[in-house]
Amino acid sequence: MRITCPHCGARDAQEFSYLGAADPKRPDGMAASAAAMAEYVYQRDNPAGRHRELWYHGAGCHAWLVVTRDTRTHAIAAVEVAKARKAGAAAKVGAKA
Amino acid sequence: MAETATSPTAIAWVPRGAWSGSTRAGSFGAEGVSGIIATLLGGFGLATLIAGTGGASSLSQAVERRLGIVLPATPRIVRGQTHDAIWSGPEQWLLRAASRDGWSALLGELAAHAAVSEQSDARAALRLSGSQVRKVLAKGVMLDLHPAAFAVGDAALTSIAHVGVQLWRLPDGPDGPVFEILVARSMAGSFWSWFSASAAEFGCTVTAG
Repeated sequence: MRITCPHCGARDAQEFSYLGAADPKRPDGMAASAAAMAEYVYQRDNPAGRHRELWYHGAGCHAWLVVTRDTRTHAIAAVEVAKARKAGAAAKVGAKA
Repeated sequence: MAETATSPTAIAWVPRGAWSGSTRAGSFGAEGVSGIIATLLGGFGLATLIAGTGGASSLSQAVERRLGIVLPATPRIVRGQTHDAIWSGPEQWLLRAASRDGWSALLGELAAHAAVSEQSDARAALRLSGSQVRKVLAKGVMLDLHPAAFAVGDAALTSIAHVGVQLWRLPDGPDGPVFEILVARSMAGSFWSWFSASAAEFGCTVTAG
């Protein structure tokens, strides 16, 4: 499997480390219920198909990436830089405030 | 007191090259014309420049004003008269100086625009040339280094035999293609173990640059 890093280009998967699902959002601090926290920490979907997941380009540019991969075929539909997504989210929060 | 010696034992501090424990000038492998020329590099200045959020343009302007080179936004090396800038990750660069004259003062100036970390003795650097250089690199590099895919000035961060490397291509020389490779100094021995085994079949001349 090869992942096309937005910074470095197409690289072998062994240059990357896998973290897990990209979309779970940590509940808001001390206010969260135990059930919500348990859901966030332990519960994961196990889709046969498209999956958005975090990968770290440790042997290359050291960027975190959000990779959309088909779990049945390993076909990769999209690779985004996780930092850009985070910055975008922060900008939206800033705009609301 | 019986002890009469008053002068401490003289200690001679001698700089030790990054490759000195691994190899030296000479040749190895197949007899005859060397397919690989390995030049052990030393004496250069090296530092990482890491721009803070939104700080890349101020850093880039400072480097351009001071050194006349533009920091590359993609994996490339930009070469100047005395200094080179090598892309080293998003908003990160390596700055290399041909000599260390004025190096500390330069880094002090740039520290106003970026996180600057002196790395001159932290990396082992090697220049590889020769007609068989791509064949050797193909044994360890997972990238396509064919001239159509990896142009003069292209740079990459990757690994060779599980050793993290930074490499780039310089203009072709009289011996053919030219690449330079940096590895962490502590990994120089491991890297050389891979390199010497891989280059032996082509014959390799090692020179100190």
